[in-house]
Amino acid sequence: MLTFATLRERWPSFAGGFVVLFLGMAMVSMSVLALASAGARVPERLAGTPVFVSVPMAERGDGDFAPDRPWSPETVASLRERLDAIPGVAQAVPDRTFYAQPVIGGRPVAGDRGYAWSAAMLAPYPLTAGAAPREGEVALDRSLGLAPGERVSVLTVHGPVTYPVSGTVDGPGVYLNDAEAARLSAGVRAIGLVTEPGADVAAVAAAARAVAGGVVLTGEGRGALETREDERTRWIGLQVLTAMAALSAFVSVLVVGSTFAVGVAQRRREFGLLRAVGATPRQVRRMVYGEALAVGVTATAGGVAAGALLGPVLGDLLVTVGFQPPGFAVRWSPLPLAGSFAVGVVVTLAGVWSASRRAARVRPLEALREAEVDDRPMPRGRWIAGVACCALGLAAAAGAGRSDGSDAFVVSGLVAAMGVIAGLALLSPAVVPPVARLVSWPLARGRGATGMLVRENALTAVRRTAATATPVLITVGCAVLITGMVQTTAAAFAEVRATTIRADAVIVPDGTPGLTDAAASAAGAESSLFSGLFEPDGGVLSAIGATPELLERAGDVQMVSGSLDALRSEDRVLVAQWLAEDRGLRPGSTLPVSFEDGTSATPTVAGVVREADADVLLSRELLRRHDPVALAEEAYVAGAAGPPGPGARVMDVPTYAAEADAEEDRLVWIATVLLVVVSTAYAGVAIVNTMAMSAAGRVRDLAVLRLSGATVRQVLATVAAESVLVVLLGGGLGLVVALPALLGMRRAFATAMRADVPLVVPWPLILGVIAACLALAACAAVLAARPAVRRAAPAGAAETRWRRGPRSG
Amino acid sequence: MDREETVRLRAVRRLYGTAAHTVRALDGVTASFHAGTLTAIMGPSGSGKSTLLHCAAGLDRPTGGTVAIDGTDLGSLSENGLTLLRRERVGFVFQAFNLVSALTAEQNVALPLRLAGRAAPSGLVRAALAEVGLADRAGHRPSGLSGGEQQRVAIARALITRPAVVFADEPTGQLDTRVSRQILGMLRGLVDDRGQTMIMVTHDPVTASYADRVLFLADGRVVDELTGTVTAEIVAARMAVLEAAPC
Ligand SMILES: Nc1ncnc2c1ncn2[C@@H]1O[C@H](COP(=O)(O)OP(=O)(O)O)[C@@H](O)[C@H]1O
Ligand SMILES: [Mg+2]
Repeated sequence: MLTFATLRERWPSFAGGFVVLFLGMAMVSMSVLALASAGARVPERLAGTPVFVSVPMAERGDGDFAPDRPWSPETVASLRERLDAIPGVAQAVPDRTFYAQPVIGGRPVAGDRGYAWSAAMLAPYPLTAGAAPREGEVALDRSLGLAPGERVSVLTVHGPVTYPVSGTVDGPGVYLNDAEAARLSAGVRAIGLVTEPGADVAAVAAAARAVAGGVVLTGEGRGALETREDERTRWIGLQVLTAMAALSAFVSVLVVGSTFAVGVAQRRREFGLLRAVGATPRQVRRMVYGEALAVGVTATAGGVAAGALLGPVLGDLLVTVGFQPPGFAVRWSPLPLAGSFAVGVVVTLAGVWSASRRAARVRPLEALREAEVDDRPMPRGRWIAGVACCALGLAAAAGAGRSDGSDAFVVSGLVAAMGVIAGLALLSPAVVPPVARLVSWPLARGRGATGMLVRENALTAVRRTAATATPVLITVGCAVLITGMVQTTAAAFAEVRATTIRADAVIVPDGTPGLTDAAASAAGAESSLFSGLFEPDGGVLSAIGATPELLERAGDVQMVSGSLDALRSEDRVLVAQWLAEDRGLRPGSTLPVSFEDGTSATPTVAGVVREADADVLLSRELLRRHDPVALAEEAYVAGAAGPPGPGARVMDVPTYAAEADAEEDRLVWIATVLLVVVSTAYAGVAIVNTMAMSAAGRVRDLAVLRLSGATVRQVLATVAAESVLVVLLGGGLGLVVALPALLGMRRAFATAMRADVPLVVPWPLILGVIAACLALAACAAVLAARPAVRRAAPAGAAETRWRRGPRSG
Repeated sequence: MDREETVRLRAVRRLYGTAAHTVRALDGVTASFHAGTLTAIMGPSGSGKSTLLHCAAGLDRPTGGTVAIDGTDLGSLSENGLTLLRRERVGFVFQAFNLVSALTAEQNVALPLRLAGRAAPSGLVRAALAEVGLADRAGHRPSGLSGGEQQRVAIARALITRPAVVFADEPTGQLDTRVSRQILGMLRGLVDDRGQTMIMVTHDPVTASYADRVLFLADGRVVDELTGTVTAEIVAARMAVLEAAPC
């Protein structure tokens, strides 16, 4: 009874908690739904085939997307033969894929995958027109708008090739005759078993299991056949979604906690009265929990419903931005929604825990207090936690400052700033007032009443001042720190690239995933290829295929022993120092490996390099021969560069240095901005909440102001100016905490990279954050105070209102 | 009169403040309050009237001495036990802020019963409201009631558990004379008709004149007592003596 009556009576004071829980739980449920939908999916182009045999899949660490070792061509042939013989199998089809990107109207189209024609039956994608491709012909996606008989230019790993179109299919991709596809493809990693109509799939799978040499995948298990890129994209999406959900839940706990803390502080007399007429502390605590749960359950239910509705929109957004692979869609399922609901309830209970204890400690005599003064000191636990956080932060800062760049200075810097920010936030009731006194000192010198009022209000309403300044402090501090770090890191890498690239121009992909050999060697350009080598035990080594000249010019390879000239020979390789030490390799040792095409070799180690971008260096020709799919990421041109052909463009070195890694940087940046925007939104809710809740406590003060001759406008100006002062205070503190940490990090970077790293802070974004907080605080304060100011109008308010226009407050 | 003692205070002391600077709000008060009587406690401002009431009602714990209600020693009760005793055996009427603003008059009256987990039959609650003349106001919230009506709701709530004793701290302190008279008349009626025990703090001689007995406090001690015929004139005269005395 009392719970609902209280909610009805005091809903504005619960509004902040409600809004935050609603938003937070919408966020959480959306993220959780997306997470639940984000499992590996059976690729559409393989969906029509019930059973697959795949290469054994190695256990990989989190965030490791190294490919599995493909079968050797001999193994593929023998597997095929044995799988073909299984009763019920119509055909065992090796899944061969390669790079093939049609160029239409001079521009490469969006899809860049090519397949062997026989793989079209895995979907299946039957012909919609024309015939299957013979040697030198191509069948392709009907949606490209080409008809059988027309000719199309297709970019392959070697360069553009013009094919006559033999037919079209109703699915994505470019299809070549099997023999031609085999020459362009990497090693086979999966064989699809196309079954005869009416075949017993379980029996086929069992028979396939009996054929040694692979893993049998059926049903949803075929999701393991998704591409490594999709897997990596999903992994990134997972991180972003998890971060969002965690941040939302965390902020919800904090805001619910502070909402109820303020609410309890404002209602001490009521709790005292209840205690006096016979409520036990336990009953009071249960009452506060009841109110919180009533608010929490409705807000959570609403939030989860909104999240469920918006989930598909989020799914599309994630795909657009690049946090989920194409084809990803959010699916509704009850469990994630129920889980989100439970999270909301737990968040509510956690948030209200401390407030309920405080309410239960109210003594019955407090019912008789004349005025509601909030003179309780800061709890000891908060002091201890705040000082501990600051100490941890300062210790980490000292560590980061002393760092020579070899250890995890980025982490130290982050811990330093986070520690101090959290510490300051905890200590804010103690820290903010003296700082406010200092900063607002000039206001006391002026002659106008507003300045004096603003200062005194901010100083006396300690709790309100701290409650407003703290979210701004946290948001601005974190925004400066995280965005500054991301951009400074990017700038540092760009700087390092710019100083190490010794070339006149760079050829880069343009609308393609990489450079074809033709584009990469245009105008005498040189390029390296990046690939993987598979050790006999299944381990994967990264490999770069390059010419000695190119490595020389790139300038970042330091020899420990041997010389780069070894790369002119086909059977010799250079290995990284760590690998040499780990495997006991010396010049003259052999390194048995197999390649991306499944073939094996035993090259001789000719030397050891100290710093290289890969574990193994080998000749470009050797790598190309064994990896028909690798595309160069960039090619370096000495002297004037000519036109590189379709799918590539020429850039000067400084531009390239600044833009390289753009895709990766773009994703990180989007995630960062998203984080900043979400936390600013939460800070905004916290600010508005504080303003709305403290408005009630100010009614009397404002009325006194009015009665002592202030116009409505003057009073509101005072209120707005006070909130502006407090927000600026929080923002300033945030900057003061974050900037030194950033500067320390920049110095450590500069030392580590031996380059002049600029400090980049995205000021427009930071200023935007502060401006948003300012606007919200001022508007909320004025709107919350206005009814009270109007009501408190002395006789003659009407006149005042009429005269208000031309005067300034 | 040989009636049983409902409330008994023995050598009750209550100190406030730090070791360096203590205020003796109560300095050894011994007093008994008998069933079915209305006692007024009077004294100058700051003499310890409210403190005495709080200690006697179990809202506050004395620094020394004992308080017993219906024979139960409050000092022996835990915080919870004290709460239960207040809920079952004691009623309160404060000077102001008596009601939970979110609840209607009827709900406010039913509050002690509900807190005790007992049934609060609507008939009983409405009868209690009718007794204080507010039968037609049951559904109103405090913000829609006048000061006098709010005090009457508070009285109805104080009586709903049939307490052994009702404490009132300046119950008419914020009301005008006419409404004060009505309420005091009602309280007097409860004592006479139902035999309700009542202890009331006031600094107004006219209010005190409704009582059977008046205790005078000064500097935390009982300095005088009036029984028998209590009139406003006698009370005012005694008060004048007290207020003139040097502190
Ligand atoms: N919570 C308190 N803390 C400190 N001193 C108090 C407190 N409550 C009352 N006092 C002091 O105790 C004395 C008696 O107060 P009180 O019982 O309220 O007097 P009365 O009700 O007669 O005006 C006064 O001097 C008052 O200042
Ligand atoms: Mg008093």
